[in-house]
Amino acid sequence: MSTVEDDGDTNSIRFGPSNDSEGGSKVVFLLKAAGGAPILKKKKWALPRTKTIGHIVEFLKKYMHLDTQQQQQLFLYVNQAFSPALDTTIGSVNDCFSSEGTLVLHYALTEAWG
Amino acid sequence: MHTSLDDKEITRELWQSRLPICFILSDEDKSKINRSESPEPLYLMLARQSYFPCIIEKLHRYYSTYFKENLNDTTNYVNFANLWLEYESIPLKWHYPIGVLYDLYTSSLSSTSSYLPWQITVHLSKFPESEIIRFLDKESIEAHYMSTVKEADALKHKGQIIGDMQKRDHKQLWNSLLQDKYDGFWNINNKLMSYTENLQYFRYIPFRIYILDKPFIQKLFSPYDIDEEKWMTLNDLLHFVLNHEVQCEQLTNEKKILNTNINDYQVIIHGIQPSLQTPIQWLSEYFSYPDNFLHICLIEKRS
Repeated sequence: MSTVEDDGDTNSIRFGPSNDSEGGSKVVFLLKAAGGAPILKKKKWALPRTKTIGHIVEFLKKYMHLDTQQQQQLFLYVNQAFSPALDTTIGSVNDCFSSEGTLVLHYALTEAWG
Repeated sequence: MHTSLDDKEITRELWQSRLPICFILSDEDKSKINRSESPEPLYLMLARQSYFPCIIEKLHRYYSTYFKENLNDTTNYVNFANLWLEYESIPLKWHYPIGVLYDLYTSSLSSTSSYLPWQITVHLSKFPESEIIRFLDKESIEAHYMSTVKEADALKHKGQIIGDMQKRDHKQLWNSLLQDKYDGFWNINNKLMSYTENLQYFRYIPFRIYILDKPFIQKLFSPYDIDEEKWMTLNDLLHFVLNHEVQCEQLTNEKKILNTNINDYQVIIHGIQPSLQTPIQWLSEYFSYPDNFLHICLIEKRS
């Protein structure tokens, strides 16, 4: 059973159940910390295919209360190797790089694999 | 896969292909100039395989002579960090190769008119934050380029070849692209085009399909069918991609479903329409852009 959190932001990610009851229309992904970034309590997320990497980055910046004054950056990595462009859809990242139905993304506040 | 010396010459021709572009300042920004004359259009011959941020310093230098007085004027301020390019009301994405943008946005126009030089409007204000990402210097476009090369190698070779390369080899790829050095580029790129694990082909083909008003489509596709013992063609790839994409659209209840009939599209890579029977492995080796991806534009034919 998964909890549904709502921080009131209309752009927040809606978490679906962590099984496949969405019929495969949502992409399930695991977020793992890298480069000394803070570890999230919630690691498993689900998003519609058409959402972009940029959407995830913006959401995480707010969720992690990153300092917008200091323009703290957040980097998302696939395969612990490369950073897809912000307008890439999570659907295509999932189609190409998920493993056994799950996509793992690493996030960092510095360029961990720059 | 039979190839010849002539095939290698194709990569040189693609490397050398250029687009004549005419940059014109937007009317809105023209009105901010204090001088009596407005800037002349700026004409540049740009490599199809390069990126607009690579010439952004040139644009800054050119327009800053006209806006000298505005740089300190708080009422009429011009900040070159807000420079962006537009074609027919479409903000141009900085991180797409120039040739891809040209093929995607001008190919649907009538073929009886000439669309060269390509007329692009330069804006210095009202950066469309929600539509394009800032890539306003060479360092950020270099980071994007290297990330894309790594992604391509992840698909082709599980990242083994790029991972084994020295940092200086990565630098050589980018610097050769910047400095238009074909040999310097291909000395390194040849390694990325080689085979690993006793295969005579890449594990998966790095490609992106561009259709107007849609985000690009990228999927896993193997260039060789082991069971049927045959090489997959461009037609096979498009057939697979369009049908898979429609399945995804149906799952998410999209209103507008993609047309899966390949005959309704012009299939354009580097400004030409290659035969749909071309083996995709060959296209990946000879028709990829310097980022090692095949960027394929699908332009709907007029009904």
